[in-house]
Amino acid sequence: MSRLRRREALWFYLFASPWIIGFLVFLLGPMIASIYISLTDWDSFTPPKWVGLQNYTRLLTDDPVFWKALWNTFYYAAISVPLGLVIGLWLANLLNKQVRARKVFRTLIYLPTLVPLVATAMIFKMVLAPSGPLNDVLNIFGIPGPSWLLEAVWVKPALILLSVWGAGGATVLLLAAMKGIPRELYEAAEVDGASRIRQFWSITIPQLTPIIFFNLIMGLIGAFQVFSQVYILTKGGPNNASQTMVPLLFDQAFSFYKMGYASAISWMLFLVILGFTLLAFRTARRWVFYETEVK
Amino acid sequence: MATVISAAAPGQQERTRSRERVVGVFRATPFSYATLILVSAVLCVPLVFVVSIALSSDQTVNANTFTILPREFHWENFTRVFGTELPMQRFLLNSMIISAGAVLGQVLSSGLVGYAFARLRAPGKNALFIVVIATMMIPSQITMIPQFILFKDLGWVNTYLPLIVPNFFSNAFNVFLVRQFVSRLPSEIDEAAMVDGLGFFGIYRRIMLPMLAPVLIAIGIFTLTATWGDFMGPLIYLNDESKMPLALGVQYITSTSQALQAPPWNLVMVGSILLTLPMILVYYLGQRYLYEMDISGGSAGVK
Repeated sequence: MSRLRRREALWFYLFASPWIIGFLVFLLGPMIASIYISLTDWDSFTPPKWVGLQNYTRLLTDDPVFWKALWNTFYYAAISVPLGLVIGLWLANLLNKQVRARKVFRTLIYLPTLVPLVATAMIFKMVLAPSGPLNDVLNIFGIPGPSWLLEAVWVKPALILLSVWGAGGATVLLLAAMKGIPRELYEAAEVDGASRIRQFWSITIPQLTPIIFFNLIMGLIGAFQVFSQVYILTKGGPNNASQTMVPLLFDQAFSFYKMGYASAISWMLFLVILGFTLLAFRTARRWVFYETEVK
Repeated sequence: MATVISAAAPGQQERTRSRERVVGVFRATPFSYATLILVSAVLCVPLVFVVSIALSSDQTVNANTFTILPREFHWENFTRVFGTELPMQRFLLNSMIISAGAVLGQVLSSGLVGYAFARLRAPGKNALFIVVIATMMIPSQITMIPQFILFKDLGWVNTYLPLIVPNFFSNAFNVFLVRQFVSRLPSEIDEAAMVDGLGFFGIYRRIMLPMLAPVLIAIGIFTLTATWGDFMGPLIYLNDESKMPLALGVQYITSTSQALQAPPWNLVMVGSILLTLPMILVYYLGQRYLYEMDISGGSAGVK
C-alpha cells in the first residue's frame, strides 16, 4: 500500500472511530452480555446463577402471559400496520389531486404525528374515557360506547385507533413519492381509456411499491416494539388483554428484577422481528417494483 | 426518484393547472373536498379537546365535565402550571439539557462517520458497512438490560449521562443517511481540495461540513424529536423528580395523584401542549431541510 493510501486508511478509522467504539461498547458487548444473562437467573444485585436454557423453556412452555403478550403483539401489528398504510395511501391520493389549500390539509393531517407519544397517550386517556368525546359521538348514533381501556374486548382496538391517528406520517412520504411518478404514464393510460380506479391500481400503486415496502418494514419493526402507549394507558390490563412484548420485558427487568428472564424475552422479540422482516423481504421480490432494477 | 418537494412543487403545480382538462385523475371533486375536510376535522378533534381541557377550571376537572369545544378560558392555567408543586420549569429545563446534548452528539459524530464511509478508502471498510446496515435490524431492547448494568456500574444512574453520552457515538441510521448524501456529491470537489494541499480533516471541516448542512439539520431534527418525546429512557435511568424531563414529568403527575383524587387534568394538558409545541415549531422551521434531504430516494435504497 502506498503511503498516501495508508494515511487515508488511518484517517478512515479515525473518522469512523465514534461509530466503531459505540458499536463495541453499546451494541456488540451488550449483545454478548445479553445472551449470557439470558442463560442465568439474575436480580442484578447478587451474582448471576447459571440456569442454561431454563428461561427459554419456561417462556415457551410455562408462561401463559408471554403467549398472550406474543399474540397481542401480533394482533396489534397485523391490524395497525396495514390499516395505517391503507389510510395513508388513501389520504395521499386525495392530497395528490388539484386541491385548493392543499398545504393546510397536509399540515392538519400531519399534525397528530408531531405530538409526542406520551402526550398522545394522555390525550387518548381522555378521548377514550367512558364519558369522553368518542363515546359522545357514538351516542349521537344511538350506540352505547364501551369503557374502551377497561374491557378486554375493546382495549386492543383502542390502541389500534391511537396508532391510526398518526397515519399522517406515512401520508407525507407516500405523497412525496406520488409526485415523483412521471405524468406521462397517466397521460398514456388516459389515451388508452383506462378509468381512474384502473390508473390508481396499475400505475400509482406499482410505482409506490418501494416506499410502501419501506413503510411496511419500518411499521412492523415499530409495532412489535410498542411500549409507551400500553405502559401509560393500560399497563397491559385488563387481565393482560393489552399486554405486549416490550412492556412485559420492561416489567420483568425493572419492576421484578428478573434480568435473565427479561433478556430471554428480548431475544424472542428479536427472533420474531427478524422472522417477519425476512418474510417481508422474501415476498418483496414478487410485488415490489424498482425502476432501476435490471434482473 | 425525484421527490425534492420544495423544488418540484411550484413548477409541477403550474403544469397540472394548464393540463387539468387533459388528465382528469388530478382533479379534486366536491366529494374529495368533503372527505378531506371530514378527515382533517376528525384528526384534529383530540387536539381541540386538549386545548379545551387545558383551559378548564379546577371545578370542571373535579366534576369531570369536559367539552370538546372550550367553554371556559382559564388562560392563567398556562402560568399557574409554573407556580404549583409541579416543578414544571425544572422538567422543561431537563428536557432541554438532555435534547441539546443528544443533538450535539449525533450531529458531531454522524457527519464524520458518514463522510468516512462515503469517501475514504480503507481495507475492511465494506465489511464494516455491512455491519452498520445489519445493526439497524437489532431491536434496542436486546441491549437495554446490559446497558443499564453498564451505566449502573459507572454510577451514571439518576444522571443525564446515559441519555446523552451514547449519542456521541452516532448510530447506524444517521451514518447511512450521511453516507447516501455524500455519495451524491461530485468527488471532484474533494480531489481539487486535496490538490490544493488540504488534509482529510481539512477537507471535511472546510469543504464537506458546510455542504452537509441540510442532512445534519435533518439529523438534528430527528434526534430532537426522538429525545424530546422519549419516555422509556428516562423511565429506566431517572428516579428523582427534579431530574425528569417533561415527557416523564407529565405522566408522573397523573400517576402520583392521590387515590380518589382526580389528576389535575387541566395542568396535565397544559404540560402536553408544552411538550407538543416545540415539535410543531421545529417541523415548521425544518420541513425545508427534511424534504431537501430527499428522504424517499435515500430510504428506497434500503432494499
